[in-house]
Amino acid sequence: MRTFQIALREFLATAATKGFIIGAFVVPGIFVSAIPLIVILAMNAAPPKVVGSLDVLDKSGAVINGLREQLSPEKLAERRADEKEQAKQVQSKMTGGMTPGGNDATADAMLEQMLGEVPQLTINALPADTDVEQAKKGLDVPYSNEHPGERLGLIVIDPDAVHKAPDAESYGGYKLFKRPKLDDRVIDQIRDGTRRAVLDARYAAAGETRERLQSLITVNAETREVTESGEERRSSEELTAMLPFAFMILLVMSVMIGGQYLLTTTVEEKSSRVVELLLSAVSPIQLMTGKVLGQMCVGFTLLFIYSGLGIGALAFYKLTDLLSPMNVVFLFVFFVLAYFMIASLLAAVGSAVNEMREAQSLQTPVMLLVMVPYILWMPISRDPNSTLATVLSFIPPVNPFIMMMRITSSDAPPMWQVFASIGVGIIGAYACVWFAAKVFRVGLLMYGKPPNFRTLIKWVRMA
Amino acid sequence: MSDAIVMKGVRKTFGPKVAVEGIDLNVPEGALYGFIGPNGAGKTTTIRMIMSILFPDRGELEVLGRRSAVESKDRIGYLPEERGVYKKMKVGSFLAHMGKLKGAGGPGLRKTIRTWLERVDLADVERKKCEELSKGMQQKLQFIASILHEPELIILDEPFSGLDPVNMRLLRDLIREQHEAGRTVIFSTHVMQQAEQLCDHIVMIDRGRKVLDATMGEIRTRHDPKSVIFQPIDAGVEAGRIESVDGVAAARTDERGFEVFPRDGVTPTDLIPRLAGAMPASRIELHRPTLEDVFIEIVKGSREDGEAQIRAALRNGEETR
Repeated sequence: MRTFQIALREFLATAATKGFIIGAFVVPGIFVSAIPLIVILAMNAAPPKVVGSLDVLDKSGAVINGLREQLSPEKLAERRADEKEQAKQVQSKMTGGMTPGGNDATADAMLEQMLGEVPQLTINALPADTDVEQAKKGLDVPYSNEHPGERLGLIVIDPDAVHKAPDAESYGGYKLFKRPKLDDRVIDQIRDGTRRAVLDARYAAAGETRERLQSLITVNAETREVTESGEERRSSEELTAMLPFAFMILLVMSVMIGGQYLLTTTVEEKSSRVVELLLSAVSPIQLMTGKVLGQMCVGFTLLFIYSGLGIGALAFYKLTDLLSPMNVVFLFVFFVLAYFMIASLLAAVGSAVNEMREAQSLQTPVMLLVMVPYILWMPISRDPNSTLATVLSFIPPVNPFIMMMRITSSDAPPMWQVFASIGVGIIGAYACVWFAAKVFRVGLLMYGKPPNFRTLIKWVRMA
Repeated sequence: MSDAIVMKGVRKTFGPKVAVEGIDLNVPEGALYGFIGPNGAGKTTTIRMIMSILFPDRGELEVLGRRSAVESKDRIGYLPEERGVYKKMKVGSFLAHMGKLKGAGGPGLRKTIRTWLERVDLADVERKKCEELSKGMQQKLQFIASILHEPELIILDEPFSGLDPVNMRLLRDLIREQHEAGRTVIFSTHVMQQAEQLCDHIVMIDRGRKVLDATMGEIRTRHDPKSVIFQPIDAGVEAGRIESVDGVAAARTDERGFEVFPRDGVTPTDLIPRLAGAMPASRIELHRPTLEDVFIEIVKGSREDGEAQIRAALRNGEETR
């Protein structure tokens, strides 16, 4: 009952503060509500159309005609359509072949925004004997949309851009001189068109066509995952790789935030000297248990919010089948285990020091433990049943994080390992709480020099 | 009558430092006991052991008939020396929290809290945050927190430190009231005057050892007056003139006039009519030793430092608080 009263105060003192509400609800809320905002902005704020001329000095003499064609509005628009198609394919590969629920229009708007409007370019071919320095004159004036039709830049194509010089190792190319402040999307288009024109000229010189070479270098491939029901499903490797990471981050975040609050409130109670008043009413163990449980509820709150947001996002992309409900259950089980191990150690640290500043050095080893899954997520999610992963999933206090990554990976470990890891976690949690309780009991009433690790061990023996 | 607290040969060390050495103590139920001694004498350690916050290395301890205070925490009210409040918590919520932790979480708790706040002149602070209160006000809160659950045994560690004279009187009245209601009260102080005004029994502690355990009456009879305080109306009277009075051995100027010592075979009581007959006096009384005098008399033999130093050590604590 008293433990519950302590837990309740701990939870309210943490979660019912402005700082916590802003951090936990408002910030993610802003992120979520910002997405439609960005979309609206993207739809309304299309970039202004660029109209202007380009001088071309073609020293090879074989590119100018192709260049005129490649930079014509029709060709530019055609390539724009191709790029859009490619971007969509990349997106669909990312999300496992499923289109986002009914938001094609927004995706299109964002693509348009990325690509900008098709520019209207007029090509002026310069005579072969033109002086480059002379032609560059006037290009130093920054570009402005208020004067359409102005000269935008100068392209100088090398003499050996199409036919390699006899002793040279590689072909020549071209130089683009552009005016300052010209939209970089337009520059990209000019460069792309010029590159294509040069390549086409080279293909023609070698008696080849773009289409033939293209077909020679393309290999069609598709990956399909065979599921248990025998159905085929297009696999989404990227997301599958991200899932363990997401679960691990969720776990680390909620454990660390809850643990950190526990450390802070313990130091506060000690430095404000309210702790002895509390100890006249409850035993140190009751006090610690209450505080640990109270902050666990804070961690749970965060876990609910963030996993809720995550599941919401998956539902938005119709990807909920990536997530098995069992994984969510395991998330909460491993949260409790990890939280008890990490948070009780942090509570011990909090009880041993006099102020937050002194907590740093004792807190560092605990922080390093939590860094282990961060460092190892890549190798573990690639090969979730490697010796390293298997061994680490039985070593507390990192085992909950490692096991969570393995469970959510593409190659889940055998069930006996999961339960064995939970068993090890329970033993680890018990040991951590036991150690912390001893330190807590002695540390709470010790003021003065902050202890080092040897002193902590002494306290454990003393208590 | 049974004892509220029994201590037998209790010893506590912190590393090489002996904080409390072989204390035997019986506090009967319903008594008002004062623990006195200079700062660092071992009062707080003794109290913490009674509260089961610390555990003795050796010896036996019994509180309200149990082996440990943990088993009877709800029957004990404790105001620690190192005390604080939750700064961000509202006064009402803080007291309610402490009350619930003490097992007083009934429906009448809020009303009790309000009544107590009114009694200590803090009626309007219930909705304020604790950090908005002055230190003295916070101390009154902590006192309320320690007696909210109507405990049988009240232990107050330096309850008067940091209070102004008005609040000291208020707290003294509240303590006396608890005592009169039949509760056992123990309080510690290094300000001997406080104990003198309030207690019926004194336990003196010096450097971890109990040096005195007696009622105020016993102390008074044991430490008879040895001199007379004498203040002549004529401010110009010199010590030599007083010393010429029959039966006077020596006269020494004192802040209250003169302290006059009798010759061998003459009692201080005999001196009073003789001095009164010799010259007109505005003040003439037996000099009763204060607790401070008694303390010094007791510890003088066992200490290397002289009387003035011991007095300075005792008063130093007073001024810094």
